[in-house]
Amino acid sequence: MSAVQKIEELYNERGKRAKELHDAGKKVIGYFCCFVPDEIITAFDMVPYRIQGSQNDPIDEADALLEPMACPFARSCFNMALKGEYDFLDGFVAPHSCDTIERMYHIWRSNKPSPFNHMINVPHMMGPSSDVFYRKELDYFIKRLEEFSGTKLDQNKLRDTVKLYNRRRALLRELYALRKENPPRVSGTEITKVLVAGMGIPALEHIQLVQDYIDEIKGRPVPKADVLPRIFLWGNEIDDIAFIRLVEECGAHVVMDDLCTGTRFFWEDVSETNDPLDGIANRYICTHCPRSLKPQVGNRQEDMENRFGYMKEFISQWQANGVIFYIVRYCDTCELEGPDLREYLNSLKLPVLMIEDDYSTSTIGQLRTRIQAFLEMIS
Amino acid sequence: MEANQQIKTTAVKGTDTARLVRAMVKNIYQSAHEAKANGQKVAYMMVASQYDEILRAMDIVPLPTENYAGLCAAKRDMDRFLLKAEADGYSQVLCSYARIGLGFDSLRKELGHIPEGSPDGGMPVPDMMLGSSAVCDPRFKWFQATSRYLEAPTFGMDVVAPPPQADLNAVRDYYIQYQRDQLSGLIEFLEKQTGKKMDKERLWEAIRLGDKAWQIWYDIDRLRVAVPSPMPSQDHFSIMVAGHYYSGTQIAVDFYQKLYDEVKYKVDNKIGVIADEKYRILYGGGLPPWHTLWIFNYFESFGAVFVIENVYRGFDPVEVPSHVKDPVDYLAWRAFLRFTRYHEKARAHSGSPLVEKLLGLIDDYKIDGVAFHACRSCRATTIGQTHIKSELGKYTSIPMMQLVSDMVDLRDYSEAQWKAQISAFIEALEGRGK
Repeated sequence: MSAVQKIEELYNERGKRAKELHDAGKKVIGYFCCFVPDEIITAFDMVPYRIQGSQNDPIDEADALLEPMACPFARSCFNMALKGEYDFLDGFVAPHSCDTIERMYHIWRSNKPSPFNHMINVPHMMGPSSDVFYRKELDYFIKRLEEFSGTKLDQNKLRDTVKLYNRRRALLRELYALRKENPPRVSGTEITKVLVAGMGIPALEHIQLVQDYIDEIKGRPVPKADVLPRIFLWGNEIDDIAFIRLVEECGAHVVMDDLCTGTRFFWEDVSETNDPLDGIANRYICTHCPRSLKPQVGNRQEDMENRFGYMKEFISQWQANGVIFYIVRYCDTCELEGPDLREYLNSLKLPVLMIEDDYSTSTIGQLRTRIQAFLEMIS
Repeated sequence: MEANQQIKTTAVKGTDTARLVRAMVKNIYQSAHEAKANGQKVAYMMVASQYDEILRAMDIVPLPTENYAGLCAAKRDMDRFLLKAEADGYSQVLCSYARIGLGFDSLRKELGHIPEGSPDGGMPVPDMMLGSSAVCDPRFKWFQATSRYLEAPTFGMDVVAPPPQADLNAVRDYYIQYQRDQLSGLIEFLEKQTGKKMDKERLWEAIRLGDKAWQIWYDIDRLRVAVPSPMPSQDHFSIMVAGHYYSGTQIAVDFYQKLYDEVKYKVDNKIGVIADEKYRILYGGGLPPWHTLWIFNYFESFGAVFVIENVYRGFDPVEVPSHVKDPVDYLAWRAFLRFTRYHEKARAHSGSPLVEKLLGLIDDYKIDGVAFHACRSCRATTIGQTHIKSELGKYTSIPMMQLVSDMVDLRDYSEAQWKAQISAFIEALEGRGK
């Protein structure tokens, strides 16, 4: 089976590999968002599983327990759990990333408890004391995992997993680099499948898969350059190809992203520090997410540069000439961040289309006209 | 939204003392304007952020932006601010308190002055903005966004609470240490803004006054177990102004003492909110419908009185260990103890501190039914209501209902639907044979 086929299979049958591993006696730990270090779970010989929703299935059972004004991504995940689709999880870990995830953790735990349940409190403020606190929370998480697994965390193993995940990060960056070309050698739709495929399998398997995939991509004939708009995508959770495929079908290349399911979770390496937890804590707490507040710096322009400046590299190197925000509705921090970011990007002469969506493939088609109009404007 | 809905928004109060609050609310904004004129520092702030006494000790005049949103709704003057924020790109599902605040600041910037006829004279431009992560995400993110409309130094402070299942012995020290560090960071910021050092003796004095006011407030709530109810929830939603916006002052202490005396008199003389109290209702959660507070009187027309509530209440008193000698340490300890007050109980029983708290209220206040208010734009106080209702149902069979609208956005409210729901709820109460 080619890497493309394997990715397709893993994308379409999510959870299948994790279920196999669970059935074979491995402990699978489900988690949300970008603040739960995979390295720690892997160092315990457990399998981290990034919990995903389903944009194709209606949210029904969850509505009896979770209000409809909660983030539909979170509601969809919980809906799947209620239907037994996450019964293979041996553990459930939620970071306090936002109001919805924090509150849903308690509801999930109460209605669908796993053998191991844990919440990591992640500081909203960024600064030295927050670093110390988050590190202590990770220590406590480790203590709980030690109790659950009956084994002490092996520091050397943790060092190895840091290296392992950095290898994966490097490969994903290499894959993303292929999008710099004109036209990009790999589409946004394809990239999404690669990333989603990796969310439910051990890192080592994903590394092999991404390596094989890159080799296959590099063997593709080089296409002719075109003049289609190149889109930088910003937002929160996109674990389905529907939206990105729509943008690409409308006549654009999605070349780069700043998404929870994209660069946000893998772009920066973990520093290989003497105490591996130092590097892990520093890396994860610095995840770019609107739910984290950087201390104010200088005047508004300087402050926005401090908040958003990291995106300049994404925009210039991937030659994006338009930005689309995809915000899953009811994400208060994204809703508050959006207008500021639009102002910043406009100041860089980049047009922005801000879309708020319900995390459902049934409504995504309604966005076609808006996307087409936007692409026409920037073409 | 019905065309013929009632214009009246406020409720008839049960106590005379609650009627004094209107002047206290006006004074919040008037004081801020006067302070600006006198060169005193004014800060946009968030209620229940555990830093109130610090502001008082440093002579900083608090300007509660959320309260202002509630005031606009009570005056039915919120649409122009909501629509302005939405025109500026803020989603209609974003916290409506934040939308009103952002819309107000946007209009003030655009006009170059406070929008004409703003409730209670409007809010002056603050000298600083103090966000916090206590309660919800918009409360630290909102002020960051406000920098679009005004240039003021902004500080965000974390307020942390461990999850109910955490081993408190394992996490206590570092939670308290972090809270202390965050409070110290705030003090450092305020010292820079005001150009003066914080006086620890003054902070102790503000803490003493804050604790005293909240103790009397707690005692008043304990008096409210009486049958008939001496003070209803609509009064609570007024009298909380003293505890939340005058915390750390003698004004709050004096106000609650006066209220205590009145409530005590009513209890001693069996004077109820209404003549014929048939049903005792617990306001189970969710921000109050500031746009339609008269709804409490509507319940009363059926003999149903809201006797106690679970929002904007003061925290139950806690005992900070005597070895804590520093006022900032004290505030950090007090916050931790407040947030973990029901953790042990929850672990031993239902698993949920909120369920434990509500069960305690149901029992103590002889509750016949529970009503929640789901606010479409408030995730923090709404997510979990359905679950909590279901959990409570495992321990009690009293009727429960959930009204849906928003705390300030009238577009999410339907009077006809509410009245139909209330009618069904009353029938359920009647059906229980009381």
